[in-house]
Amino acid sequence: MSLFLDLIVSAILLGCTYTLVAVGFSLFFGVMDVVVFCCGDIAIFGTFVILGTYTIMQGTGMIGSWPLIFIILALLIIGAACCAALGLFAHRVSIKPFEKSSALMPLLSTIALGTVIKEVIGLFFMPVTNGLSGVFAGENAVTVVSGRNPQGFPQLLSINGNTDVRNIIIIAVTVGILLALFIFLNKTKTGLSMQAISQNKELATMTGINVSRSVVSTFVIGGIILAIGGFLLGNYQTVMSFDNGAMFGVKGFSAAVVGGLRNTWGAIIGGMLLAFVETFIAGYISNGAAYASIVAFVVVVGFIIFKPEGVIGEKTVEKV
Amino acid sequence: MSGGANKMAKEKKLPLENLLVIAANIIMFAIVYFMLSASEMVSLIIIAAVIVGLLLADKQGYINWLFALFIRHKKVAFISAMLCIIALPLLLATERYIAHIACMAVIYAMVCLGLNFQMGSTDMVNFAPAAFMGIGAYTMAVFTVNMGVSPWLGFLSAIVFSCIAGILIGLPTLRTKGYYLSLVTMALQLAFTQLIKNIPYLGGPNGISGVKSLNIGEFFFYKSYTVFGVKLAPQIPLLFLCLFILVLMVYIAMRVYVSRWGLSLNNIAQDEVAADCLGVNCNRQKLFAFVIGSIFCGIGGALYGGLASFVGPTDFTFARSLIFICMVILGGMDNPIGTVVGALLLTVIMEKVRSFADYGQIIYAVILVTVLIVRPAGLVPKRVRDYCSLFKGKLQRSGKKNEAAAKTE
Repeated sequence: MSLFLDLIVSAILLGCTYTLVAVGFSLFFGVMDVVVFCCGDIAIFGTFVILGTYTIMQGTGMIGSWPLIFIILALLIIGAACCAALGLFAHRVSIKPFEKSSALMPLLSTIALGTVIKEVIGLFFMPVTNGLSGVFAGENAVTVVSGRNPQGFPQLLSINGNTDVRNIIIIAVTVGILLALFIFLNKTKTGLSMQAISQNKELATMTGINVSRSVVSTFVIGGIILAIGGFLLGNYQTVMSFDNGAMFGVKGFSAAVVGGLRNTWGAIIGGMLLAFVETFIAGYISNGAAYASIVAFVVVVGFIIFKPEGVIGEKTVEKV
Repeated sequence: MSGGANKMAKEKKLPLENLLVIAANIIMFAIVYFMLSASEMVSLIIIAAVIVGLLLADKQGYINWLFALFIRHKKVAFISAMLCIIALPLLLATERYIAHIACMAVIYAMVCLGLNFQMGSTDMVNFAPAAFMGIGAYTMAVFTVNMGVSPWLGFLSAIVFSCIAGILIGLPTLRTKGYYLSLVTMALQLAFTQLIKNIPYLGGPNGISGVKSLNIGEFFFYKSYTVFGVKLAPQIPLLFLCLFILVLMVYIAMRVYVSRWGLSLNNIAQDEVAADCLGVNCNRQKLFAFVIGSIFCGIGGALYGGLASFVGPTDFTFARSLIFICMVILGGMDNPIGTVVGALLLTVIMEKVRSFADYGQIIYAVILVTVLIVRPAGLVPKRVRDYCSLFKGKLQRSGKKNEAAAKTE
């Protein structure tokens, strides 16, 4: 019974991180009508920015002296700012030039951009402590060997190695973000105009909604959500590698598809479903961890074939 | 009358044009040879010059002119090109590494030709060419190493298995399109890498080493032979075989392109509903694109296994698939010649910048984004089908018949 409970908890935690990425995907798809495939890499970029900032802060001695909550907030703000900037850059480089071409062009260009982000992390996340040991040598500095090796992520949320607090915080933060997003999308002017663009772009333009500004705000909000998702993933997995992004992105995309690409709330169901399938297969079948993601993909392919509109999406019929 | 004068002029021009075709072939072949054998910097400069040259030539319309010239003098062009292709391995005879690069380029070109059917012709972006290639390579490896049977049996089963895989992947994609299709193939690619990593029979993460290459009796395609006192590199016989298969594939791809089936593939790419209304059997055509594409990839994979004598999961990852997509887009979608050019250029770039291997992925990705933004059609863009000349020829012929009939009367 305890194994069952443990599995449920870890499935929910994994589902939270998937959900955040999937929400990012469906936000972008709703407003831009393109799949921004570098979402996973943007999230991992946020993780590594936070990790790098943490290392530098540790070097300057801020970690011990400042209250933990301030440090976490500062890290989150820096990570979110960097991810929002990266999101805008992605829009500028890999989506805007292809507004008039076939829908698959931005898919390819965002995948290529994701590869660039991934490799830049791998190349330039260089030894901070080793290179600047005179200034930044902390007491228990994270030994950063090279960006290509898996990096230990600072366990800021678990106190004295107790992961219960961490788990509660992860779930609470995810629920909080989703609530905030719900309020933002339904109560504010920007959010409502984003929804209007998602439903009918031409009509939205005609009613005087500034589409380009809404697109920019979408990318900023998406970047923030992705950064927080990356932070939570880092805390959950405890070890991050520079190439986690591709898999993370595909999982997030799969979750968004299972929930219905246009539907932000379906993303939650999709993320949870995917996480539960993966966790339970890894938990109950011997050597199942190796096959967990394969089964998850089979589930996704099944969904695409038999219910492409998603769990709660509306069916669209193509008319001539 | 005018027809007769035209014919006279054609006959007068004939030797000159023949010479031009031969010269063009020799120049192209020389560029390829120097690109392969020159040192790093020189070869990169040659590649840059080739890219700029192709872009300029296309702007001035020379590429189409050259294509038209080649088509007019099919026989001369074909014979001289074949002679050049036969001469290339002989010139590389003693240089093992360069022969290896040439082999890789030819095999990658095969995979790209296969991908081109799906991505270029039908506009279904398949993110799993490396998985199809891996199916071919692993079949070859299992048959020659684990089961110890003849490599030819492995080669044939590689074709059969990749064909089956193409059907299995093609069937679900009939119901999907666009992003969903891409996601299905992407999921397949990632699942394939995970799967071969976790199956002990396939060597797990260590892969299978000692894969045998093809042989005819006592003649092995991967073996060092001494001819006239010159010790040849072991890849040379295999290079001949690969080039032969590549020529065959390019021929098939070109025939498909000009055929009704190729036209219907393009039709599906532009508007599937319209194609359906026009009576194109969309399901059959899409399945055809998948199956022929995966067979090409599988053959490439089987030859790759023989060349590297080792297959492992790292050779058939998502990143590798992205490289193939990059090759097709750089070379020119839906143009077999362009696809081969793209594969050749990128393979050589990759091998020549091996000293900065860490930057390899970035180089590919940056090339992909740049090409997509600057020139989405690729270096050698797709040719417009020339039905006019076809009809003109028919009209002329019927006109002549009328003339002849008038004369007899």
